[in-house]
Amino acid sequence: MSEPIIRVEHIRKKFGGVVALDDVSLAIYPGETCCLVGENGSGKSTLIKIISGVYTPDEGDIYINNKHYKKLTPIDSIGEGIQVIYQDFSLFPNLTVAENIAINHQLAHRKKIVNWREVEKIAREGLAKINLTLPLDELVENLSTADRQLIAIAKAILADARLIIMDEPTTALTQKEVIALFKVINDLKERGISTLFVSHKLNEVREIADRTVIFRNGKKVLDQDARGIDITTMEYHMTGRKLDSTNITFSPPGDFNSPLLTVEKLSLQHAFKDVSFVLRRNEVLGITGLLGSGRTELALALFGELPVDSGHLYIEGESALIKSIQQAVRNRIGYVPDDRIQQGLFLDQTINDNIVISIIDRLITKIGLVRSRVKKDVSSEWIRKMAIKTPSGDLPVRTLSGGNQQRVVLAKWLATSPKILVLNGPTVGVDVGSKAEIHELIRQLSSQGIGIILISDDIPELFQTCHRILLMRSGRIAEEYAREEIDEQYLYQRLIFSDNPTVVASEDQWNAR
Amino acid sequence: MLDKIRYKRLFRSNEFVIFLILLGLSLTIGIINPAFFTVSTLFDTLRSSIVFLILAYGLLPIVIAGGIDISFVAIAATTSYATHMFLLNQGYEGGVFLYYLIAGVAGIFAGLLNAFLVTRFKLPIFDVSLAMFTMWYGFNLFFVGATANFSLPKGTVGFYNIFILTAQDPNVGETGLHVSVLLALGLGLFVWWFLKYTTLGRGVYAIGGNREVAIRSGFSIQSIFFVIFGMMGLFSAIAGVTQAFLSRYFNPVIFITQPLDVLAAIILGGAAITGGSGSIVGTTLGVLVIQVINRALILTGIPVEWQRFVVGVILILFTSIPALRKLRAKRMGHSNLVQSE
Repeated sequence: MSEPIIRVEHIRKKFGGVVALDDVSLAIYPGETCCLVGENGSGKSTLIKIISGVYTPDEGDIYINNKHYKKLTPIDSIGEGIQVIYQDFSLFPNLTVAENIAINHQLAHRKKIVNWREVEKIAREGLAKINLTLPLDELVENLSTADRQLIAIAKAILADARLIIMDEPTTALTQKEVIALFKVINDLKERGISTLFVSHKLNEVREIADRTVIFRNGKKVLDQDARGIDITTMEYHMTGRKLDSTNITFSPPGDFNSPLLTVEKLSLQHAFKDVSFVLRRNEVLGITGLLGSGRTELALALFGELPVDSGHLYIEGESALIKSIQQAVRNRIGYVPDDRIQQGLFLDQTINDNIVISIIDRLITKIGLVRSRVKKDVSSEWIRKMAIKTPSGDLPVRTLSGGNQQRVVLAKWLATSPKILVLNGPTVGVDVGSKAEIHELIRQLSSQGIGIILISDDIPELFQTCHRILLMRSGRIAEEYAREEIDEQYLYQRLIFSDNPTVVASEDQWNAR
Repeated sequence: MLDKIRYKRLFRSNEFVIFLILLGLSLTIGIINPAFFTVSTLFDTLRSSIVFLILAYGLLPIVIAGGIDISFVAIAATTSYATHMFLLNQGYEGGVFLYYLIAGVAGIFAGLLNAFLVTRFKLPIFDVSLAMFTMWYGFNLFFVGATANFSLPKGTVGFYNIFILTAQDPNVGETGLHVSVLLALGLGLFVWWFLKYTTLGRGVYAIGGNREVAIRSGFSIQSIFFVIFGMMGLFSAIAGVTQAFLSRYFNPVIFITQPLDVLAAIILGGAAITGGSGSIVGTTLGVLVIQVINRALILTGIPVEWQRFVVGVILILFTSIPALRKLRAKRMGHSNLVQSE
């Protein structure tokens, strides 16, 4: 076997009293796709930062291209061909595609003057290396997340990358885009460029990995050829416990004759058309579809954020008008956004304040002051009910892990005692352990009588929680299934390949590899 | 095909919209009062634009980098007035060049002081400029002098009517285009080149687009700020001196009411107040629009106070165009699908 690009041995890194990495050794070989898996706080990001020279380990050795580094700096790391693609892609939204790709070249060669022909040439070459054509003079702010990511990859390749580290690269991508990304990663492999792929999404890891490395609590607990590791095994090593996903009990949903919510011929121009469905009491109804299928818009419309053009809503048989968020709240509809950080939480405010924010009007005295005693009681009850792991409700939400932050968002809406809860991608960016707990929570909520609409393209998630699944395509509800009727594989096929023959073809090539 | 896209982009650009506004305005005014379409109006409008253009060119890079500065007017006033009082004391009888030299160097230092405070102590640009605005005007009035000064050195008196072009106007007789138009043109070209063709200039856009990423990419925020603030100081000093010679007196509080007008011209020219965009062509058109409105209101007999009102209305209309476009794009772009019907 050839020499590894990078080899770290017996790395140890402590932050204060916390051991982030404990005696970790890892080698990455040319042309290898290595997947690094682990829950939040398992030490993945610390390792990335050590490899990229941002952190210096307390103990241990780093060898890059067989050269020993006692103290690795970011410049050394980049010079040795190690490129990290961060989640924000490090792009300038206000500059063109061409300039974004070429800008590092410009800076690396210490050029004082910009030659626009050369910029264009460099950009074209960079994109050609990953077989991509994008309009070079388009502004990056007008591109999709997937395209931005590809630009970041093109940038990395132009910097003579030998190892590209991708930190949670699929978080904001649709299934189709994930497939395109995987194709790029495989192209890189053929050029001998290695990828260190850091992810929570185990089905993707299974698909792309040559080798799987699992971290738990700062230790490497598994490092082996990816073939023969199934998702259950990965989950076991990540969490250190068996997650039981086979015999979940679903509470029986209510009757179709007296539904909680009836949606009739809802339409919104450029988003969705003639959407009709019913939500029963005690039911979790899954709505899935590709990005652009109208699923997100439908969620926002049900919550009044995007007022619909036509159609009717009936809540418990009574006609309800929902044209604004205020009306939705009045009709006791709650909405948990997919981007909890930006849309759902005030990160620097305390957990208590975040939980009570949506019911603050019920906690004020006649002269408009907040009853702080009552506030504390209400929120500590929710902290207990939702099992939010924190020493105190007075800490800022920022101090919580992703899974616990998501619980705070849920608590905030549950405090309003909603009848209907719209969850948009409730476990995006949440680790496996917390994910299972959130799924359990969703099932519990539905058994308590709340009707839940779950919008997600995470297929296992739909099967973990939903009674029925609606599939949206081109703004319409195309198919409807009861969970028992189908399996994950079938839904995956229906979701991705049914309406686009060209994708099917490339998928076949993909499988043939 | 590609050309089609290019044209489409041109038509949608801010510069094109502001050009249409300028054209529409001029035509409307010309129809109301044909006196607007005369060489003398053209020359006068350009003459009154010169100083504003220079100020705006100096401020533009800072706006693109995401900053708002109002101290540039105070720098213009202080450097020009102090230079004048100094040379007057020395019994200077020469030409304008020494004025530009001394005031220019002083202006650069004043600009660098802003940059130093902003980069060294991580102070917000606006806060620093607010302090400097007050400080420089105060300094000027207290230490240098509080009254307008009309005594010009012999060598500079003729400067106000050096024309590069003269024409006969039926109403006012001979009329000319002042030579400092070339100064504004040259400075404009320089900033255009700086912003488009130098790595530092691209860094200005990069900082305005995403400051964190700019630092991570290896742009030196510090050197970029020193360059653009130095430029701002220099341009302000040039504008201050030019204004004084065109109006033939030195005023210690010149431009004190003007910083927002210059900012308005830049925003009208398509720059985002949050940084990341803006251009020399747009800024030039923005200044011209405001000057044309100014002149038009005089020609059509509308009270001068209306000028500010009208500029405000145009600003609102103009800045809401991109916002409306974004709103529409948001509605459409929520999903990229094309409805089958």
